[in-house]
Amino acid sequence: MPALKVSGLTFSYGAAPLIDGLSFELRPGDFMCVLGPNGCGKSTLLRLLTGWQHAASGSVRLGGEEVAAMQPARLARLAAYVASETATPYDFSVRDTVLLGRTARAGLWRGYSAADGEAADLALRETGIAGLAGRSINTLSTGERQLAFIAQALAQEARLLLLDEPTSHLDLKYKAEIMGLLARLAGRGLAVAAVLHEPGLARLGCNKALLLRRAGGYAFGPASELVTAAALATVYGLPSDSPLLP
Amino acid sequence: MGKISLLLGALAAACLFSLAAGPAGLAPDIIWNLRLPRTLAALAVGAGLGLAGAMFQGVLKNPLADPYILGTSAGATAAAVLCFLAGVERSSPVFFLAVFAGAFGATFLSYWLARLAGRLSDAALVLAGVAVSAFLSALVMLALTAARERSFSLFYFVLGGLYSAEPGVLAASALIIAVCGGLALARWRALDAMALGAEGAYHLGVRPERERALFFVFASAATSAAVALGGTIGFVGLMTPHIVRLLTGPSARTLLPAAALGGAALLTAADAAGRTLFSPAEIPAGVVMALAGAPFFMWLLWRSARGRA
Repeated sequence: MPALKVSGLTFSYGAAPLIDGLSFELRPGDFMCVLGPNGCGKSTLLRLLTGWQHAASGSVRLGGEEVAAMQPARLARLAAYVASETATPYDFSVRDTVLLGRTARAGLWRGYSAADGEAADLALRETGIAGLAGRSINTLSTGERQLAFIAQALAQEARLLLLDEPTSHLDLKYKAEIMGLLARLAGRGLAVAAVLHEPGLARLGCNKALLLRRAGGYAFGPASELVTAAALATVYGLPSDSPLLP
Repeated sequence: MGKISLLLGALAAACLFSLAAGPAGLAPDIIWNLRLPRTLAALAVGAGLGLAGAMFQGVLKNPLADPYILGTSAGATAAAVLCFLAGVERSSPVFFLAVFAGAFGATFLSYWLARLAGRLSDAALVLAGVAVSAFLSALVMLALTAARERSFSLFYFVLGGLYSAEPGVLAASALIIAVCGGLALARWRALDAMALGAEGAYHLGVRPERERALFFVFASAATSAAVALGGTIGFVGLMTPHIVRLLTGPSARTLLPAAALGGAALLTAADAAGRTLFSPAEIPAGVVMALAGAPFFMWLLWRSARGRA
């Protein structure tokens, strides 16, 4: 069964559709990049997949269940979402921030169980930030912070991981580190979908690609066929010999 | 553990100060009949306002939020004054229901106005709260003037003071505050998730609209019980969570109990200070809190402006 199945998804903010009849599916182990120009609906698509925004028509199914009919607590067990930026004015420690990923798996009132603590510690090790566990989330660098919120998503133990521009504002070292981490996660059976700003990053482990054009056009397929100079030139409206293209 | 004992020590010191402070010295019947009820009232009002502040700051992800700034207190005060003028008994359920309705209505109005401005920003919420508070305070003054009210007790109620704690009102308010604190503590996990914002909380498995509505009800009820007992006292709800967060960290699981203890200690000390500073004249606790709290609020504004730059 696919981890994520999208069929006929249509959404618009105004009269013109932003996403029009979009269909694709991801299986466990898939690592998909979502590429396209600004304003083509990449971030909106992720929010439609989690049910934070509602599509005009079409369906999104997670492991066979319709997202529109799901409670957030059920959804958070099936899909984890990492926003491009999450801010809080309060100084939660990194470990407490990661433990928040257990919200949907623990009863509302009781404390965290030993299993919750283990899941958090595992996520901290997997993202390589175990050494930051006691630091305040607000004292981290942008890259460390991004890793902390990826660790929070991993602590949810969902089978699908959605990330909105996980590498923006990061230096090359962190870009490579995060792409490597996502590829490893896909390698152990998660389905991963990441909105990326730089098509070149897709070569660091993506096996699927979704190219979104403005006004609803799209292409979905193997990354090796879609993340090419010719296809990207069309999507971004660049000359096919532009040095910006991979 | 040491940090909790620090908080309990501060609370004990505030209680002793409050029981001993005043021009009449240490006469046992004064302590027993006057200062003890007053200290209990200060403890209950402080705990209620501290709890409400911690709830608002968490659920709105806004460190500037508190029942005074959001207009919750002004709504409760307006409803209470209307009840007094209409002759409603202060210990009756109707009075408490009306005061709760005023508190919740004003809070919701501020929130709704801030949302109208687009994305809910910290500053928009404060501005909306200021507008709602100013309007309600003007309504109170209008009502008092129109009714040719000459009662000093009503005047001091609006200023915020802990003078005549009737045992019935004290018991009812303390009970409401304890129940609200317990219900909020039972949902500490949702409150922590809301500290990442509505969208962040949703993706962690929380229903943000429901939690917002619930915590608005809990915080408005705690505030209305505090106002029913002590009138309009500001800044306890704003300052307390910021102070106790330094001891307990931001998680609501420890923050909520600490905010109740800290708010109780803060207001009890402020009330005792108001009785001591210019003795035999008394400064209402609300005035003492504003003298301390307004500079604190300016410091918060300055800090948040610097944080963005």
